[in-house]
Amino acid sequence: MASAGLEREETQTMTVREAIREALREEMARDEDVFLLGEDIATMGGVLDVTGDLYEEFGRDRVRDTPISEAGFIGAATGAAATGSRPVAELMFSDFMGVAMEQIMNQMAKMRYMFGGKTEMPVTVRTTEGGGMGAASQHSGTVHTWIAHFPGLMAVAPGTPAAAKGLLKSAIRSNDPVFFFENKMIYEQSGEVPTDAEFTIPLGEANVEREGTDVTVVATQRLVGESLSVAEELDGETSVEVIDLRSLYPLDTDTIVESLGKTGRMVVADESPLSYGVHAEVMARAVENAFYSLDAPIQRVGVPDTHMPFSPSLEGEVLPDGEDVRGAIDRIV
Amino acid sequence: MSTLRIGLIVNPAAGRDIRRLTGGASVVDNYAKERVAECVLAGLDVVPNPPEVLAMPEKAGITDGAIETTPEEVAAGTLDLPIRGSAADTRRAAARLGEECAAIVVLGGDGTSRDVALECRDTPLLLVSTGTNNVVPSAVDGTVAGAAAALLATGAVDDRAVTDRHGMVEARLESGASVRGLAAVELIDRSFVGTRAMVDPADLVGGIVSRANPGEIGLPGIAGALGSISPTEPDAAFLGLREPAEAGRTVNAIAAPGMTAEVGIETHQVLGGEESTTIEVEEAVLGADGERELEVQDEEVEFRSLPGGPRLVAFKRVFAAAAGSGVLEKG
Amino acid sequence: MPAIDLETEDGRNEALRRMYTIRRFDETAAEHFADGEIPGFVHLYVGEEAVGVGACAALEDDDYITSTHRGHGHCIAKGLDPTVMMAELFGKREGYCNGKGGSMHIADVDAGMLGANGIVGAGPPLGTGAALTIDQKGEDRVALSFGGDGSVAQGQFFEAANLASTWDLPVVFLIENNQYGEGTPVGEQHNVDNLSDTAAAYDIPGITVDGMDVVAVNEAVAEARERARDGEGPTFIEAETYRYHGHFEGDEELYRDSAEVEYWRGRDPIDAFAERLMDRGELSEEGFEEMKDEVEATIEEAIEHAHSSTDPEPEEAYDDMFDGEVPDITAFAERLRADGGEQGGEL
Repeated sequence: MASAGLEREETQTMTVREAIREALREEMARDEDVFLLGEDIATMGGVLDVTGDLYEEFGRDRVRDTPISEAGFIGAATGAAATGSRPVAELMFSDFMGVAMEQIMNQMAKMRYMFGGKTEMPVTVRTTEGGGMGAASQHSGTVHTWIAHFPGLMAVAPGTPAAAKGLLKSAIRSNDPVFFFENKMIYEQSGEVPTDAEFTIPLGEANVEREGTDVTVVATQRLVGESLSVAEELDGETSVEVIDLRSLYPLDTDTIVESLGKTGRMVVADESPLSYGVHAEVMARAVENAFYSLDAPIQRVGVPDTHMPFSPSLEGEVLPDGEDVRGAIDRIV
Repeated sequence: MSTLRIGLIVNPAAGRDIRRLTGGASVVDNYAKERVAECVLAGLDVVPNPPEVLAMPEKAGITDGAIETTPEEVAAGTLDLPIRGSAADTRRAAARLGEECAAIVVLGGDGTSRDVALECRDTPLLLVSTGTNNVVPSAVDGTVAGAAAALLATGAVDDRAVTDRHGMVEARLESGASVRGLAAVELIDRSFVGTRAMVDPADLVGGIVSRANPGEIGLPGIAGALGSISPTEPDAAFLGLREPAEAGRTVNAIAAPGMTAEVGIETHQVLGGEESTTIEVEEAVLGADGERELEVQDEEVEFRSLPGGPRLVAFKRVFAAAAGSGVLEKG
Repeated sequence: MPAIDLETEDGRNEALRRMYTIRRFDETAAEHFADGEIPGFVHLYVGEEAVGVGACAALEDDDYITSTHRGHGHCIAKGLDPTVMMAELFGKREGYCNGKGGSMHIADVDAGMLGANGIVGAGPPLGTGAALTIDQKGEDRVALSFGGDGSVAQGQFFEAANLASTWDLPVVFLIENNQYGEGTPVGEQHNVDNLSDTAAAYDIPGITVDGMDVVAVNEAVAEARERARDGEGPTFIEAETYRYHGHFEGDEELYRDSAEVEYWRGRDPIDAFAERLMDRGELSEEGFEEMKDEVEATIEEAIEHAHSSTDPEPEEAYDDMFDGEVPDITAFAERLRADGGEQGGEL
């Protein structure tokens, strides 16, 4: 957050996990049409403890444990959203999304359009992504490209606690389907978060987390924090501008173009597989809109088109981190 | 024709009507019916030279499935008969089996039993309950029914000694149409046959019963609260019902499966074999054994008991006779 | 108040009129499809009219339905306007979806019609979701999901039925068994003898009714609706019926013989019901002819309206993706159109 904002706003230090829970709490208190549903989110508080004590606070009608039945409860959330509810579904691991994909791609994404705009679809789907905890291939994927690619769906993937809170609140208030991708490795990451219940971050806006002049790093999720550390390390040597992309769709082309106008060099760092991913789209927008600002080939940092392996030595190999970002910067600066 | 042949009728539609929504009626799925039919076929093997089996074909595959499991000694096949999945199938099959068989085993409820009784001539019937509104058929294991059928068909037990003629009742319109029931013909306050089964016991406004006992379900149970009539008596009872609050007399009865009710009695009339009673009906549906059959508007309806009901096999007496004769002893 | 009260003479006449309207709407749609005026696919409801009308008559006006790819009958039964429907079939802006949906996606959410649906089995989860809203808000209404026999083999049907029964949600699953899932007989797609047997897996009641009898369907849905409203959860109703036309218009129907079609036509739900109303003195031959003429006029008017309706402007293709304008779509559209419709022009 810009320092000018911090002076005006009351903030509190909290983790990404707490920021998400706080956003849920505030929106449930604000609007009784908001309710949560998902696997083990009530009495258990969520498999990664995100919903926590919300069940105790709001009761079983507002925090609903579902069967292990992604097509069923994502479909029910879709039908509920079309009839005046504002459901927030938790899809425990994004790797399970395939089970629910029919309802997502043919119903949730298309109903408004097919019906000529005559329905709202205010549904939020929260889901976890990313490797780093040895959970192997079926519990570590980063699939947000699917959603960002599919017309009719919005996708956000915050990299800081403040972004997590502000984006989730906007997602819940939105009349469109929004997927909220939570990288599991940053739940414990702390930061200053505005406490104002009306604080939100618009969908479709990236944020310059650190200004710089030599190279732009467009990062998402865990790689935002890692890129900021790299920028800090390179301070005095290379001036690195770090952007938290925050929204994958809509995509904030203007902020990217503006930054490129300043730096002329760009690294895109995102944990999805490299081919056909978020990287490719950010690069395409840069090439389409800021080709003549470019001074060097754009670099991308991500998973080299493998699944997430189990053994820590293997997982460490393919999981992108700050070192990879630094290597990419070194190649073009 | 051959006395060494028994008939088998399984009604695939029995026990699955709308009363699953309105009362506590149990569901008898086709898997369960197939198992009962398999037991019937297995039971035939109780005699050294078991009779052949001729079964009604049906689309659900219950009979075919059961026949596949028939013991080697038993020859089983199905009638060559076009089927359409309605009660008419049962009636046509009953007519044919009545001609060709020494006894017919029927898996169904009161409705199925009636359909068979109307067409089976005088062939002894072994009625096994797999329906909803079961006043007439017995809740016996299929094997018991199969064994009893084998004992009758092979002549090991004399069917005249172990069958009783069950009464029947009828409602006849001036226009000539009539509805016949085994245990009861009901007058139902509805406009249409609709889903056939009687949806709401509160719709029952009267009718006639061939038997009455407070332990029975529906109209025979209501009539039974006022006086018993055994199934073999020629007497019948005619009832007119009304709202309990408006009636001078009320009884508690088992109104439907899963449902007891206080029922108001307007009229109760025991009719001897030759007697009848006639009422004016503005709009109602006549039912038989719990199923709506005929829509009636502005007609005089005559209710009476009917001679010549079906011969039903008393299972216990079959086995008592068999034991007495030593037919089940080896060597 | 049920939408159409079949306990009354007026209600019965209205039910007959609705069934006949569906019949003529679809037969007329078939002609205009064959003439090439209606694009895409059309799946006709002819023969199944008693199911849609019997069911929707038992619902109240603010109840929800979800539909199938064979949805015209459900729409008319639910009270949608044939004129606006026909405009949609013709791809016109005056249609229910402004020409964006067509035959397979007609919807009128305000009227409780949550959409025809091109995906077999997709309706039940949506109906379950509508029932979830009803449950959350404590509303006095229900949802009914139509599905074909094919939908009962879909995993998402299983999941919806399990969720709805686990949570006792006020939803009715009405399965129209028209004997064929596309071109394959029901018996070759399901191992249960009656599709309603599957209800046992969810511990909900399952019954099979005669789908050619509007009164039978109506009674069953009325009872299921009562159960739903009383908090007793979902009900599975299988209505046995038949489609006279192919799976889609143009289907060669190699999978069935004409004798079978003739048998079912002999049980025609409209003829049978009209005959009963005549027997009861509630409808005369002349009255029925008059009703038919009125329906014919309605359908002719719908066709005329469709012919005089306007094609959507091409740039309307970019509308309605989201609640508001999304800059990405706007930018792509502007670039595309600036080049005269060719993608990837000069920079």
